[in-house]
Amino acid sequence: MIWNTRNSTYIFTAPEFPILEKQNWLIHLHYIRKDYEACKAVIKEQLQETQGLCEYAIYVQALIFRLEGNIQESLELFQTCAVLSPQSADNLKQVARSLFLLGKHKAAIEVYNEAAKLNQKDWEISHNLGVCYIYLKQFNKAQDQLHNALNLNRHDLTYIMLGKIHLLEGDLDKAIEVYKKAVEFSPENTELLTTLGLLYLQLGIYQKAFEHLGNALTYDPTNYKAILAAGSMMQTHGDFDVALTKYRVVACAVPESPPLWNNIGMCFFGKKKYVAAISCLKRANYLAPFDWKILYNLGLVHLTMQQYASAFHFLSAAINFQPKMGELYMLLAVALTNLEDTENAKRAYAEAVHLDKCNPLVNLNYAVLLYNQGEKKNALAQYQEMEKKVSLLKDNSSLEFDSEMVEMAQKLGAALQVGEALVWTKPVKDPKSKHQTTSTSKPASFQQPLGSNQALGQAMSSAAAYRTLPSGAGGTSQFTKPPSLPLEPEPAVESSPTETSEQIREK
Amino acid sequence: MAAASSSDSDACGAESNEANSKWLDAHYDPMANIHTFSACLALADLHGDGEYKLVVGDLGPGGQQPRLKVLKGPLVMTESPLPALPAAAATFLMEQHEPRTPALALASGPCVYVYKNLRPYFKFSLPQLPPNPLEQDLWNQAKEDRIDPLTLKEMLESIRETAEEPLSIQSLRFLQLELSEMEAFVNQHKSNSIKRQTVITTMTTLKKNLADEDAVSCLVLGTENKELLVLDPEAFTILAKMSLPSVPVFLEVSGQFDVEFRLAAACRNGNIYILRRDSKHPKYCIELSAQPVGLIRVHKVLVVGSTQDSLHGFTHKGKKLWTVQMPAAILTMNLLEQHSRGLQAVMAGLANGEVRIYRDKALLNVIHTPDAVTSLCFGRYGREDNTLIMTTRGGGLIIKILKRTAVFVEGGSEVGPPPAQAMKLNVPRKTRLYVDQTLREREAGTAMHRAFQTDLYLLRLRAARAYLQALESSLSPLSTTAREPLKLHAVNTSTTRPVLGLLVCFLYNEALYSLPRAFFKVPLLVPGLNYPLETFVESLSNKGISDIIKVLVLREGQSAPLLSAHVNMPGSEGLAAA
Repeated sequence: MIWNTRNSTYIFTAPEFPILEKQNWLIHLHYIRKDYEACKAVIKEQLQETQGLCEYAIYVQALIFRLEGNIQESLELFQTCAVLSPQSADNLKQVARSLFLLGKHKAAIEVYNEAAKLNQKDWEISHNLGVCYIYLKQFNKAQDQLHNALNLNRHDLTYIMLGKIHLLEGDLDKAIEVYKKAVEFSPENTELLTTLGLLYLQLGIYQKAFEHLGNALTYDPTNYKAILAAGSMMQTHGDFDVALTKYRVVACAVPESPPLWNNIGMCFFGKKKYVAAISCLKRANYLAPFDWKILYNLGLVHLTMQQYASAFHFLSAAINFQPKMGELYMLLAVALTNLEDTENAKRAYAEAVHLDKCNPLVNLNYAVLLYNQGEKKNALAQYQEMEKKVSLLKDNSSLEFDSEMVEMAQKLGAALQVGEALVWTKPVKDPKSKHQTTSTSKPASFQQPLGSNQALGQAMSSAAAYRTLPSGAGGTSQFTKPPSLPLEPEPAVESSPTETSEQIREK
Repeated sequence: MAAASSSDSDACGAESNEANSKWLDAHYDPMANIHTFSACLALADLHGDGEYKLVVGDLGPGGQQPRLKVLKGPLVMTESPLPALPAAAATFLMEQHEPRTPALALASGPCVYVYKNLRPYFKFSLPQLPPNPLEQDLWNQAKEDRIDPLTLKEMLESIRETAEEPLSIQSLRFLQLELSEMEAFVNQHKSNSIKRQTVITTMTTLKKNLADEDAVSCLVLGTENKELLVLDPEAFTILAKMSLPSVPVFLEVSGQFDVEFRLAAACRNGNIYILRRDSKHPKYCIELSAQPVGLIRVHKVLVVGSTQDSLHGFTHKGKKLWTVQMPAAILTMNLLEQHSRGLQAVMAGLANGEVRIYRDKALLNVIHTPDAVTSLCFGRYGREDNTLIMTTRGGGLIIKILKRTAVFVEGGSEVGPPPAQAMKLNVPRKTRLYVDQTLREREAGTAMHRAFQTDLYLLRLRAARAYLQALESSLSPLSTTAREPLKLHAVNTSTTRPVLGLLVCFLYNEALYSLPRAFFKVPLLVPGLNYPLETFVESLSNKGISDIIKVLVLREGQSAPLLSAHVNMPGSEGLAAA
């Protein structure tokens, strides 16, 4: 306080006000260094000195609150900022962002629109509006806004969101188009590369998928998604050792990833190290008990190990999680056949045939069972069904059929006295011969040992990133050359307890 | 020498360890008590004696005691208190005259303090910002008492709502006041002219007209009101003024002021704006989508560190060249310039206690420090050309000297498979018991399966029986102590509609029991809530007989009960005890 002696009377002159923005720079420097404690100390001091008028201090305090998860508090502070300077689009943007994080997308959109009035040319506003619309499932509006954002300024994130919309709409081609542009714009973004690779993988364009995944791995050799995806591709080509070396990197970085242990398990399965395979799969199952793919693989491996009772449990668990897959019922039927429960095996086959649309194995295995049961007529029907599927598959793609399956089909055809099917004219190569387990056929009891073929479905290797894609997440199984597996012949008909098939439906 | 350096790089790649490090440890003092930013470090030959000193604008512990420290070798030579926290320090040549000793400029608050020979020489203050004419007018009216505080408040608020530039602090304070305090405030402050002052956020130097190492330089200031100012080195007048869309945090300048220059300013909105000599406004804009933590120009590439733990390289036109991911958050960045070998590289101090040196995206060297480095600078110190000075989070000071034989080679550690690939997979082992069980299952799988199915059947049967029994007997609502009543719970299981008008009635043998209320109304039942209805039961008989109490739930006006339950009463415990 200074006493002034002007005009010969004492006048009280007001103390100088401190400059409001005096320490804004310091607050900012602490903030970007993530030194939040120091930042909060300066903010507190600054707010005390200015009686809560320093807008930037409140703003950063709100940002820190939000980082700490106190979104409601941050929202209130941002609203205070918006009151202190109503003309600032930035404050409104942050208010909207906090609303967005609180899940109030409609309110967020309103505030963003308000902010857009103040700042027309901000990509961030358009981008975030787009994201809000995605959450509100208004994809058209979302696309408009995201395209707007791209016109203002191109950002990887906008491309990713745009791609996501297309995926949510189930339009893979458009999504790929978007990601292609994004990769062109920022060729070193591993996330973009990986996603694009996975999309190609989903479409079955393996060459391009591998190229992009490989690129991603060049820039970031420890990229979890890319390694898993590339590894699963190597697995389908039988390069189990290479895939295993790649998985080691992931095992270090993300040791608790269920898809990783699933894939490692199936690598060991491919290398015929069954015990190791079961160990890994069980770990995967422990980490993700509700993942039907892991259960499927466990069932498959146990069938190979001739542990039919265990296989039955894993398969019936898998069916409980994924009741719409023919192959699962087929495997269950194989297990049941070996557990001498023909009645329920038939039911399971019927379900499998009902659900499956393209896998000839299902029909073949069913036909074999029916034939062994002496139901030649029904067996013939299944055989013809199988032939239809085979010719359909041949028309559509150049898939090679497993030699064992072909052989068995020919045998069955002969036994059923059908004219030698013309569908097998294509020379059959078997690239997966190392994959097959030798059959330990027991001497057949009394019927002709035709039933020794029960080729199983392929191993499920899952690329982890599938789950991040909104569509086509679980059910994509690449129909590739299946590792096949001969099983022992079934003995004669027996009276069967009927609870099993009930159990499939109930449990 | 070449052989030595190549073996060096072969042996350890980009890593540096004790034995074959490229650096000599000159000094480490964990208690040096220096808390500062890279912007407040400067190396200069302040006395013109060829001995380079380190100037530190020290914020003091907790930002409490700002000081100007000048270090010579490991020791603090002079130390003087500062009036406010220093935002940046820079050394520059003010004039051509001999001896050519550089002046020291320290930006703090709204002022730049210029020192020559370490003595205060000049204080430059930022000019006042023009106040809003409307606001000025209002306060003039208030001075002449032509406006009452309430109207003043309303008018000021309308200005705040609409005007581009912010109000003065005086007005802002006024708007916060309660009605009763307004009068006094106006009387107290009305005679003051309203002021708007801004502060300096960052500062750097720009050569005036020659590109030489020791040419006269201008100061370039970034201010809180989103402007860049270029000051004349001798007269300290404002030579140029440029405006930015946001507040500048870091500046990077190249060229000469009189010829052509480029100015890159990293701003608080996460963007980097690039300006040229003739442009009053930014020519190019780089949007980072994260906050920049450092901005360094290496030759023609702008290297930006972002809060997403990455370094980005951009051209001067804002095109992204490359990105490198860091293992931890970047705390500070600075330029490493080794004149003898013509090397320019970027140093980044990371939160995990590493200092990484990059040339473009190639990692050249990693220095491990005992504490996270918060500020660093490289240059001539004392009489040693290549000295690295670092200060740590705890206030420590580390000085390292680059070995004269050291050559930075792009380390091979980043190429090739990651080290994790060599690690063995941790596959769970299986026991002998497991194998035995497997064999057993193979042999007797069918039997096991059947046994399991039978057991499962039995289990289900028992569960169903138990359930049925529970249903029949209705769960016992009796309490265990004498003071507690018979408890019933009413829950409305409908999802939407409340229930009204229910009655509860107890039927019992009146010779055995007495109930205070044998018949009562149930309150309105809101869906989903649990309503405890309690009543005491007194046992009248002394023969130890127990009976059933029937509970009936009735709807008003209907004689048939909606629900009935039997409560099996236990024998009296009091009698049993006696």
